[in-house]
Formats: sequence, C-alpha cells, structure tokens
Amino acid sequence: MASRRLGTLCFLVVLICVGALSASAQSFRVQCPQSTITHPSTLHDNNSEPAYSGPTTLALNGNGFYAPTANVNGAIRCQQVSGGDGYSTMANGVQTFMFSFGPLSGLADIASGHPGTEFPSTFNTPYPGTLLPGDPATTDGMVANTWPAWPTPLPTGSFTYNGAVGVAPDIANLVSIYDISQGTAGNTVYVQTNAPLGLPVNGTVTIAGTGGVPPAGYDGTWTITAAPFAFPTAGIPGVTNYGFPATFNFTFTIPTATGLADVNESQTASASTGSVFDGHVDPRQIMDIGVMNGSIPAPLVAFDEDDEMFLTLTNVGMIMRPDLFEQHTIHFHGYPNASAVYDGVPDASVAINIGGSFTYYYLSPDAGTYFWHCHITPPEHLQMGMVGQLYVRPRQNRVPAGQSLYTYLGYQNGIGLPAASVDLRTACNPAADILCSATMPAGGASANPAVQGNDKLGQPQKYAYNDGDASTAYDVEYPLQIHGFDPNFHFVGMTFNPEAFADMKDKFFLLNGRSYPDTVTPGPMATQSSDGRVHYSQPLPAIINIPAGGKALLRIADLDVSEYQTLASLGIPMKEIGFNAKLLRDQAGNNTEFYTNSITLGGGESLDVLLDASDAGCGVAGCAAKLYPPGSTFYLYTPNLDHLTNDQENFGGLMTEVHICNSVTGGNTFGNTCN
Amino acid sequence: MRIRETIMKKAILQGGRLLAPMLLALSLAVTAQAAVPGITGGSLATGTPATFNLTAQTAFLNQPDGSSVYAWGYGCNGTPSGFAPTTTPITGANCPSMQVPGPTLIVTEGQTVTVNLLNGLPAAAGNTSILFPGFNVCVGTIASGTCTPSAAGTNGVVGLLTQEAAPGGKVSYSFVASSPGTHAYYSGTQGDLQVEMGLYGAVVVLPATIPVACSAGLPLTNPGANQTAKAHWGESDFRRAAAAFDSPKSCYDREYLFQWSEMDPNIHKQALAQVTATQGCAAGAVGCGLNVPTEPYHPAYFLVNGRSMPDLMDANFAAEYPHQPYNGNPHMHPGELTLIRTIGQGRWQHPFHEHANHVRILARDGNMILAPDGTNLAGVLMFNTDTTPGEAFDGIFYFTGRGLNWDPYGHHPGDASDPSASLSCAPDANGYNTGAPTAINYFEWCQDHNKPLEVAPLGDVGAGGPATLPNPNIFTNGAWYGGTPYLGPDATLRAGGTQACVSSLANNLTATAANQTSPCSTLQPSNIQANPASERGWAYMWHSHNEREITTNNVFPGGMLMMMLVDTREFVIDESN
Repeated sequence: MASRRLGTLCFLVVLICVGALSASAQSFRVQCPQSTITHPSTLHDNNSEPAYSGPTTLALNGNGFYAPTANVNGAIRCQQVSGGDGYSTMANGVQTFMFSFGPLSGLADIASGHPGTEFPSTFNTPYPGTLLPGDPATTDGMVANTWPAWPTPLPTGSFTYNGAVGVAPDIANLVSIYDISQGTAGNTVYVQTNAPLGLPVNGTVTIAGTGGVPPAGYDGTWTITAAPFAFPTAGIPGVTNYGFPATFNFTFTIPTATGLADVNESQTASASTGSVFDGHVDPRQIMDIGVMNGSIPAPLVAFDEDDEMFLTLTNVGMIMRPDLFEQHTIHFHGYPNASAVYDGVPDASVAINIGGSFTYYYLSPDAGTYFWHCHITPPEHLQMGMVGQLYVRPRQNRVPAGQSLYTYLGYQNGIGLPAASVDLRTACNPAADILCSATMPAGGASANPAVQGNDKLGQPQKYAYNDGDASTAYDVEYPLQIHGFDPNFHFVGMTFNPEAFADMKDKFFLLNGRSYPDTVTPGPMATQSSDGRVHYSQPLPAIINIPAGGKALLRIADLDVSEYQTLASLGIPMKEIGFNAKLLRDQAGNNTEFYTNSITLGGGESLDVLLDASDAGCGVAGCAAKLYPPGSTFYLYTPNLDHLTNDQENFGGLMTEVHICNSVTGGNTFGNTCN
Repeated sequence: MRIRETIMKKAILQGGRLLAPMLLALSLAVTAQAAVPGITGGSLATGTPATFNLTAQTAFLNQPDGSSVYAWGYGCNGTPSGFAPTTTPITGANCPSMQVPGPTLIVTEGQTVTVNLLNGLPAAAGNTSILFPGFNVCVGTIASGTCTPSAAGTNGVVGLLTQEAAPGGKVSYSFVASSPGTHAYYSGTQGDLQVEMGLYGAVVVLPATIPVACSAGLPLTNPGANQTAKAHWGESDFRRAAAAFDSPKSCYDREYLFQWSEMDPNIHKQALAQVTATQGCAAGAVGCGLNVPTEPYHPAYFLVNGRSMPDLMDANFAAEYPHQPYNGNPHMHPGELTLIRTIGQGRWQHPFHEHANHVRILARDGNMILAPDGTNLAGVLMFNTDTTPGEAFDGIFYFTGRGLNWDPYGHHPGDASDPSASLSCAPDANGYNTGAPTAINYFEWCQDHNKPLEVAPLGDVGAGGPATLPNPNIFTNGAWYGGTPYLGPDATLRAGGTQACVSSLANNLTATAANQTSPCSTLQPSNIQANPASERGWAYMWHSHNEREITTNNVFPGGMLMMMLVDTREFVIDESN
C-alpha cells in the first residue's frame, strides 16, 4: 500500500512539475513581476520609490504568513546581465581579453555611467526596433577604429533603450478546444479543452478559430467565470462527452449572445492565455547583444532598502574559449544573512550553464556599499574581469522634507512609531543584535537636530547610511572599483594554456576598469572586439566632480585577487564613514568615523569615504573656499608607487582627478558636468 | 577529501526520547567539525601554574597536491598535562613531537605559564626560541607575579629578541596570562626563515571570571535556550568557556580557531638540501649553518591551520596528516553566536571573507575594543576580516536568515501529511522563534514564517512566492547543494529534493530504522560526498579573497578555503572528531 500511495503522490508531483516546466521550458528567461506578495500592485505602484513614513504595516494573511496591508515601502527592481567574454582597452593601448559580464538591461543607463537596475515598467519594455550587435555603441554611431576619441566623450545620445534585452510578449499556454457550446438559456459558454489551460476565475482567455466573431460567434477575449468547472452529466446542447476532468473545463459569458451553436471537435478552435510580459525572451536579441559584450567593471547594480531585487544572469558563452563550457554565477558579496541558494557559490548552490538564465532574488539588505562577482574558479574569473559594483541606498533618503532624521531612524528601530507596528527587520537593537550598527546616535534627539533638506545640487539630501544625524550626508556619489589585471594571465586566459596562480602579478592597476589617464576620459570607453564590432567595454570613468564646499561619497570596493592596494587623497581629506557595508558607529551610538588621507583595502573589501571639501573637512569656517576653490583639481592616487604604472609605461596606474566645481549639473554621479 | 561516518553512541544511549528524532541525523552523519583543540598545562584553575614542555623538530607536511613539504614545528616533549576540550575529548587527540601549527596552549587568565622548549632542530638550523607577543615574558621563574631571572648561563643562550635554545639545548619562558583572548606564539630567532618553516602556534587565554550572563548562553536575546536546544538533541558543548572575555558582551555558543600562513616551497627545498648536506655537523662548527634566501618570496601553499583545502576540512587529528592535527570545518546552528579566533601567522596579510554574514570584532591581540562607556562594543563589523601578520583577533559571527523574505524551512501549513510542515513560529521580542528550543525551527526568523519563495509549488512546499527556479537542466548542482533552496533535511525532503524519501517524510518525527535504509539523496550523487541527506545544511565558503590564495601550488581549488555549514537543529553537530 505504501508504495502505491507513493506512486500516486509521485504522479501528482510529476504533473505539477510538468506544469511548472511548461512555463519555464525556455532556457533564457528574465524575471520581473509587476506585483508580489511583498509589493502587491493593488496597494502600491512598484515603479517608483515611495516616501518613508514609517514601517510597512504587516498582517497575518489566510496563507499563514505576514503580508503588507498598508504603507508599503520599497518597490520592485530588476536587472539582467550576460556572462561571457569581451575585450577592454588598457591605458597603454593594449587590447585585453576578459571573462566578463555585460549589460542586458539598462543599456542606455549603463552607457551613461549609471546603474542598469530598472523598475518593472521599464524592464518589461521590448525594444521598438532591431537591436544591433555592439549596441548601444553601434546605434550611437561608433564605428571600428575610431577609438580613442579622447578627450572628446563618446556619443551616447542616440540609444535610449533601458528595457531587458530580448523581452517579448508571451502566450504562456494555448490549448485546443474539444467542444465549445452555449447553453440553452443565458449567456454562459461552456468549454472543454484537450489539456488544462490553467487560468483561474477572472482570468482572461482568448478564444480563436471557432469560425465566427461576436455577436455571432465565440472568438474574442473573455473573462472566465468558473474554472476548474465540473460539467453536468447531460443537458448542454451538442456536447457529446461529459467525462472531461474539471481542470479541462471552464466557462465564461458573452453578454451579447445567447444560444450560439455548438462547435465540436474543431480542428482550429483554441483557447489561450492572453499575451503578457512574463519573462519570456527572444534569444536571438540576447545573443546579438550579449556575445563578446563584457565590460569592466561589470554592470553597475544599485537599488533601495525595502526593494525586492530580481537579478538575472544569462550565460551567453565565451566565443574565444569554447573549450571551457564555462559556467558562471553571481555572488552578492557581503549580503547579510544570505541564503545559500542565492549566494552564488557553485559548490554550495547551482552554477549556470551556457545557454541558461538564472534569476537571483533578494530582499534588499541594509544600506551600504557591497559588490558582486562570479564565484566560479574565483582566482581565474575575478582576475579575468567578472567583478561589479553594487550598492543599496538607505531608507533615510526617503524621509519627507523637513522631518527629523533622528525621529525617522527611531521609526526604523521601533522607537516612537507614529501608528503602525514595529518592523523588526529594519530595527537595529545592539543589545539584541551584535551585528548591527545603525543604532540611535548618542545624545538623544536634542543632540541630533538634523532634518531632511536639500543637497548642493538642489535635490533631496542623500545619505550613505541610516545615520539619524546626517553624518553620512553627501552631495555627489561615485562608485569606485579597485582592481588589477595581470596581462600575462589574460593572454594565457585567451589561449588554451594552463594558468599559473601563484605568480600572478598585476601590471594594470584599475579604477573602474581604467588606469590613468583613461580614468579622466569622460563617457564610456569602447573597444573593438574580435566580432569586428565596437563595444562599450569600460562604461565608467573615475572623474570626481564636487560642487564647491560639498562632499563626495566614494563607494570604494577592491576586487583585486593578488594584493592589497592603497588609495590616497592629495589635499581633500577623506572621512571614512562606513566599512564593509556598515555604518561606523559603536553599540553606544557614538560615530567611530574618522578623517584620513588614505585607505587600504584587500580583495573582497569595501568602504565608504566622504571626500570632504566642506569646512568640516578642513576644520575652520571659510577654509574650504580658500583651500578647495572652484576650478581647482586634486588627485586620488596610490602610494603603492609601483602601481602608478601601465605595464611597461612608467606612468599612469591607479590615479584619477578630483575637480572642484562652481556647480555640478546633470546628476550627482558619473556623467555629470562640472561648471 | 576523506569523509568519516560516525555513530555517536553516547547520545543514543541517553534514552528513547532522544533516539527517534536523532536517528536520522546520526545514521548518516558525516562529521569532521572543528572545535578548538589544544593542550593544557595542568589545571585550568586561575591560581594554579600551567607548564608546557615543547620541542622544535622537523617533519614533512602533507599537501593535497601529493607533495610532502619539509618543515619545522613545535610539538610536545612528552605527554602533555592534559588535552582540551576535556569533557568531550576530541577523538584521537594527541600531541606529536612536531606539528604545524604548534600545540594550541589553553590557559586561564591569571595563570602563571611556563614553557620549556627543547631545540630538536638539526644543528645547522642553529638556535631557536619562542616569542609570546602581548605577554610580559620572564626568562626565569615567576613567584607571586614577580619575575626572578635565571642566572646567566643557566637558561638558554643569549639571543637578539629573547633567550634562545641552542641545538639540543633548552630554554624556559614564564609569563602570567594577563589578558584573555587569542594570542600568537612564534619563533624569535631568524623569523623570516623559522616562522616560514612552521614555528608558530596559538595561546588561548580563557577569562578568569565568566560573566554570569554568559554561562547560560546567548543571554540577551534568548535566556538559556541554546543550551536547552543542545541538550534536547544530545549535542555536546565544545566550548573552552562560555565567554571570550570578562565581558557579558563576549558570550558565545561555539568557537573555531584559524591560523593563516603561507609557504614558499623553494625555501623549504633549500632548507632540506642544506640540512641534508650538513647532516651530523657540530653546532657552531664552521660550515654548520644554513644560508637559505627568503627573498624573493613566491609562496605556492596557502594554509589555514597548516592545511590546504580540501584536507583542511578533514577531521582534527586525522591520521593522514600526522603533523597537521588541526582542521577548519566550521558548523553552526541558526542563532548560535560563534566565536572566530584568528591569527595571521605568515608574512602576508589575507582578506578572510566570511560568506553569509558580518563578523563583529571583539578584540585585537586580546584587547577588547569598547565604546567610551567601557561596556558596549566598538569593534568594527566586517564581512572581510583582514588577517595581518602577527595580529590576532576575536570576533563574533552568527547566522539566522533574518530578512530573506522567504521561509528557509519551507513551512507549508496546508501540508497535512507532514507535521513539521506546519510548525509554529512565535516571535520573541527580537523576532525569533526562541520559545521552542526543542523544535527543528528553533531560532527561525518569524516574520518570514510560511512565506513562499517560488511562484509554483515545489514538492509539498507552497506556491505564490516571487521567484522561479529554472529548469534544473540548465544549471549544475554543487557538491554542497541540497537540491532545493531550503534549509535542513526536513524542508529539503518536503520540497521534493529527494522523492525517495517522501514516504518516510510523513513519519519523520517518528522515524524507524527501516525507513532510514532508503537513500534520501537521489538528487545528485555529489551530495553524498559533502552535504548528506541527514544534514542538508546551507554551505558558505569561508576563504581568502585574494583569490589566488585559494589554490594549492597553482591548482584550483585549494589553499585558504573551507565550507561553513549552517545546520538545522535536527542535525547534531559533533565536533569530537
């Protein structure tokens, strides 16, 4: 008996699996729902970031779990990246082969130096024309052998598409109709199909091929009134077989017609689900854009606290190394309390084969500067270039104007709530949690009077962390990735030879994938790949524009795989405010931030510094205007002096420029203008 | 990697109440957990003296590429006074005459520690010695805290940094173990060569006064329940103490020690060649010495506790590595505060990346980092803890799965066939299910209880979640992957990870020997190797993020890499082997 029960159960499980597979049979896919149980579209538009007025109201629902009922915070964010290969151009002009990630969403944003992370309404928009290999560079007008265009920025204006490459409308299920009939009385239409359609009550069904359109026929789009539906044993005109399982049957109504003739065993009649964007993609577009399109750094990822993030990795294969059948993954480095399945370690989870897509799902962790990288054979894949930046913006950015930061940090921490219940997920109580730092700043409300205002760009003030005291406020922000390339290793990686790890020696020292002077070239850098097309290989410059008297947040991550690197500031003090994606604050609420002129990071480490060109940085009222006047230029450079080189060139390396501007326009990050 | 099967007979004998739920866990248990094994110098009582008799000798270290690396290390000169842990001894605990790292010396704050060192190195290697950085070392005897230096010529020979032992000779050091925490000891003689060759080890100083708040375990979030849970499942306590320091902020439930170093095989080859060429020479005679260049430096072996991955994850005192007794194979349950003791013993620093969560640094070199109020912690939070040469740190790590936005246990109250599908989760003041220390979802983060992950149902785990896992044909399972996203054997089985187990699933709280015989891991054979059906933990890589250091002599994977497993409560973590 036990085995029979097991057999029945297995049969049911198989049915379920088949159902699930039929919806995901395609290997390339994206995921970006418009609505989830955490962000129901009925309560909130998931295509914008609402103001934070207090914790999300949660209540136990009929399925036994807590779901929001009001005051929903955050939104849904989606991004698609390719895993494959590509070429970049080093500062000495050498073309360098990489294993690399490339953008497959937010292409225009990435080319402009911004994150490729999009809301569902943008992500689920198909490209109106035909994407060309090399895009966006091809459409932007880049042709082979025109690089370098320095110091003129490359064109990025023509290409404005930010959706998911390949996304296409999908008819998820289409079944043939055995019998369709309208009853003797009323408007109800009874349908028997040859396989379950799978739509629920109120689902939208499209009927076609029955030989007539309203008011004379069944063809059209209707709303289901009953499904599954158990047929009566007799009494519907024309119906000859009443033995169909209920899941094969459904009903709908045609208000304008009664008594339509039965259509039985038609060879053309079909019922289908409506055309929707459900993650289905056109693989040709993905291959056209994704192949040989890797960049260094990998596409920038950024989202907000309380967001749900769907990050899809699509493995397009490595054209230059077909022998490797190389898999890829995404490791979200530093994600606190990470699950193993979405941690991207192939040994502890799954690795994505060539030709497949995998969507990593995260609820946004606490604000901070993280990063991401492939975790397949890390000494190889990281050295070869599969490293990207990722940061999470704090809830405090969304505090309404004029409101006390201290009070609103209290709301997050479950103190002095306006009405709703405590959301323990957002709370930092150091007495209970040894691993949190966004506790209430010392001194109480009276010592922390900061209210939400505007930054020097006239936009709502931004912060690196939920500080409650504005200690991490900034005017402009720049993600900076420190990395190193060993040209010998990259050459060996392009050929078919075994690689030596122990004597790996970096010769290019990279800030955002470039060495000086390329670091101060505006706009994306392009490289002609072996496909003959020009690709945006290094989208991020490292030009730091700061409005006079302002503060620049540098989100610095080091992905070097062989040695520690130091970055120093000549002139403008650095204020280290965060380390490894945590606010520098002790358990008693004292900020442990400090001023310095250099920071040192090993591979896999990140920190946040404010490049403080305000009076607070130099310490005396009016000093900033004298020391850091508009028009002046400062430098970030490495005191690892042997890293100030570009391989054989005794010049360049890990260095970039800081510009003090009368004003900064065109955004608070890369791509902006220093006036 | 070699895997051991262990039956924990002692726990089985504790009674029928425990037997049924534990059978699943024990019958297939693959356990080679880490603990912090070491030796004691007699009593651990704070007023008593502790004496360690060590030698410095040569031996060969096994590496996973098959090579044997000539090395020097400290070992025991005779049987030590005691092994730690004492209440649940580590299987096969021993102290060879040479090991790398040297024996971990476990003492209590306030004890007067005497280390007698015999130089058993080849005569050509010359003198050797030990430094105990952070302690006020007396080359002589300490009585009532006062040092009486030995008379000239009676205790070793004069060296640059400290008194040394000449070849075949002895030297004796004493110090008061003044500060709790993790400390290093290493050679103070020609360190560029002798430390490279392996002459280093750890001193663990236990606090003299365990804060009352700590003796029950995790006091601030959960009074006493972690220990109750351990007792329920028959799990032993492998801690050296309940607190790392004399501070209620330093309580912990589990501890591991990691010593990081690297080796340049050319240095070791040269040393062996020169020692062989000068064999039998008289110490001090002309030509009886070594001239081994230690620059340029090209290490090819990157070691944690003297081993490279995968050897690192084998058992403590495994017979294959007679001179590398200590492993790195951390396991923990959700919510357990895990003390990480780390020392940089080489000449490079290594960014030690702990997947899964941050680490709160408690102390550097035994000095707690506190806020100005003198009580609250001020150490930095790191997901990448630098291991700097000569520096030791103590840090606290834990994992709960808080904030994932889906239920790691795959609870599904609609599934009537499995009682553990509808376990309850009653949040404490901090949101965790700590009121049920005997439940397998003890310390679950209740806000996500019953919340589905996947759009479609997976096995008997409910539908309606945000994500879709793709067709398994387009990805490759890892050796530690449980076959489903879920945590622990119960949830994995319910999620259909292993259909063969479905029949026993319904009865998994009253399991019988009969329904354990069918293999519960048909999903992928690799799981049998690393994360068996009885465990199905979530695995996280803990490794050097200077990624070239997770190689062994140019081969990946290897080097400074281990997997940390978070296990649900029904898997009994046994650190005794």
